[in-house]
Amino acid sequence: MSETVVQQPSFFQTKKGLFSWIFTLDHKRIGILYLYSIGLFFLVAAGLGILMRLELLNPGRDLIEAQTYNQVFTLHGVIMIFLFIIPSVPAVFGNFFLPIMLGTDDVAFPRLNLFSWWLYILGALFALSTLVFGDGPADTGWTFYAPYSVKTGTNVTTSVLAAFILGFSSILTGLNFIVTIHRLRTPGMGFNQMPLFAWALYATSWIQLLATPVIGITLLMIVAERVFGIGLFDPSIGGDPILYQHLFWIYSHPAVYIMALPAMGIVSEIIPTFAQRTIFGYKAIAYSSMAIAFVGYFVWGHHMFTSGMSGPAAIVFSIMTFFVAIPTAVKVFNWVATLYKGSIDIQVPLLFALAFIFNFLIGGLTGLVLGALAADVHVHDTYFVVGHFHYVMFGGAGFAFFGALHYWFPKMWGRMYNKKVANTAFALLFIGFNTTYFPMLILGLKGMPRRYYDYLPEFHDLNILSTFGSWILVTGIIVMVINLFAGGLKGKNASSNPWNGITLEWQTQSPPPLHNFDKMPELPEGGPYNYPNAKNADH
Amino acid sequence: MNGKEKNTENTSAHAHISSYSEHFGTWVALILLTLMTVFISTFGADLRTLTVATAMLIATVKALAVALYFMHLKYDAKIYTAWMIVVMALFVFFLIMVILDYITR
Ligand code: HEM
Ligand SMILES: [Cu+2]
Repeated sequence: MSETVVQQPSFFQTKKGLFSWIFTLDHKRIGILYLYSIGLFFLVAAGLGILMRLELLNPGRDLIEAQTYNQVFTLHGVIMIFLFIIPSVPAVFGNFFLPIMLGTDDVAFPRLNLFSWWLYILGALFALSTLVFGDGPADTGWTFYAPYSVKTGTNVTTSVLAAFILGFSSILTGLNFIVTIHRLRTPGMGFNQMPLFAWALYATSWIQLLATPVIGITLLMIVAERVFGIGLFDPSIGGDPILYQHLFWIYSHPAVYIMALPAMGIVSEIIPTFAQRTIFGYKAIAYSSMAIAFVGYFVWGHHMFTSGMSGPAAIVFSIMTFFVAIPTAVKVFNWVATLYKGSIDIQVPLLFALAFIFNFLIGGLTGLVLGALAADVHVHDTYFVVGHFHYVMFGGAGFAFFGALHYWFPKMWGRMYNKKVANTAFALLFIGFNTTYFPMLILGLKGMPRRYYDYLPEFHDLNILSTFGSWILVTGIIVMVINLFAGGLKGKNASSNPWNGITLEWQTQSPPPLHNFDKMPELPEGGPYNYPNAKNADH
Repeated sequence: MNGKEKNTENTSAHAHISSYSEHFGTWVALILLTLMTVFISTFGADLRTLTVATAMLIATVKALAVALYFMHLKYDAKIYTAWMIVVMALFVFFLIMVILDYITR
């Protein structure tokens, strides 16, 4: 790749100073603001996770009291869900890359975009303020189940308001992306010429827009019950606690797809680039995103099999749950088929994508165990569930987020990280992750309940193993973060297209100029992944 | 925006501008329907079990009028109507499942 064109000033260079960042309307800068804020909260909550694993190294009290432990897992869950994984890919990479991949210069509503970041910060401040004000952070678990959440003395109201505000931030991002995708695609790009990442964001945005208001109103109902004593969920004043669970999961199950779909979109970008091969089943992957988003609305009751919900309802929800597996499997088969006979170049982003498939498969298959009514009755609220959702959210969505970071890093900063160190970090993450969470699946099957700071002696061995794994995992996180910072500050200059990608973001310089393109991008002939000839790949 | 030609499902050239009378007519209809609701409930039209159903019916008609005329659904691309129907269907499904659970518990 030779570049003789004169570089335009990049979006980093156009303006300087703190205000040029926190009041920016540039989608790329907003993406980076999100990256730093989301990254920070991830590290905080990961610290809490490590703390819990330390406490669980031995049975009995080691470090923290039972009550503190309850608050720690609640804060860990709230931060990881609402401040890390739900915004993660859309807010960071969606903001940065969606307009570029569509060949346009910004999202449809740049001011709303900035506002959504400010809402995110406000919500984060609310969540953190529970640490210092009132009677300490909530101890309800991230699910805020009533009636306990109505009765506990801890600071539930503020935590719930934090989640409410963060919900609005999420809605605005979704709205912005829907309008951007409908209205701002470059001329000649129909829906079926869009990159699959855009398709994934499109499906995600509809969930953000339609499901998030449900949790918003539900959380307000908790506040109404706590503050005004209105009997909505607490049976002693005429409420129905199962109603709370319905309302909560009507949002929170689709929210799983807010986490998973963008991650799948990233995998669908990384795989064709590193196989230098047309994606297999473009339409199948694109439409299965929509199908997952749609079917995802019908299955929330699988979280409630043991709640006292009626038998007939439980059966319907169990059957529906199995349908989600179909479009998900469609994607996995298409990714694997894309790799088949490709000229595969094993680089760090591809490793993360492959790890996504591996971890997500375990997460998905254990999900089917939980979706099966009879099996769930046995493993509900055990460590099997904790293992399962970490495989989906961390091993799946989290790894895809890391993969996206390594994939688009040279585009965002115009520099390359140290690839050897990145490989090492990946190995530590992958081994550490599986060592931490696979034992949890077994512990759950053996009957160890979740959300306790203590356990029976017979669970000791596997807990030691899991805690040991968490040390490898955290080492991987530290190595990765340091390597990326080092790469951003003094890494080698990267060319505008280091991986030989053909989606539009690779046609502009790295980092992109303020308006993304200095000349109109050219759409590749025959679709976004039509690689000319695998054998000619020159790198 | 840099003024590039953009993709649009319904290019702004065709955007519908509703007439004053149409807006006004919709508004009058909404007022009349509101009066009807109030009338039925306060002046004791004795509908018994149909009271709620009637109120819901009137409310639905009003919501439709707002969506079709004030929110331009009638003149916009069909995809928006489709989305609207999908959203309503989802909502109905939420209700059905929660009620199903409740009455078979
Ligand atoms: C550093 C890595 C992490 C470690 C060591 C860790 C550890 C743990 C442990 C031990 C629990 C169970 C607490 C209990 O039930 O007693 C837990 C719960 C949880 N974790 Fe993590 N975790 C990590 C990363 C993540 C990530 C990346 C996510 C999401 C993206 C996440 C989301 C959650 C959620 C939602 C809960 C449930 C909290 C609750 O029960 O209310 N964790 N974590
Ligand atoms: Cu679910």
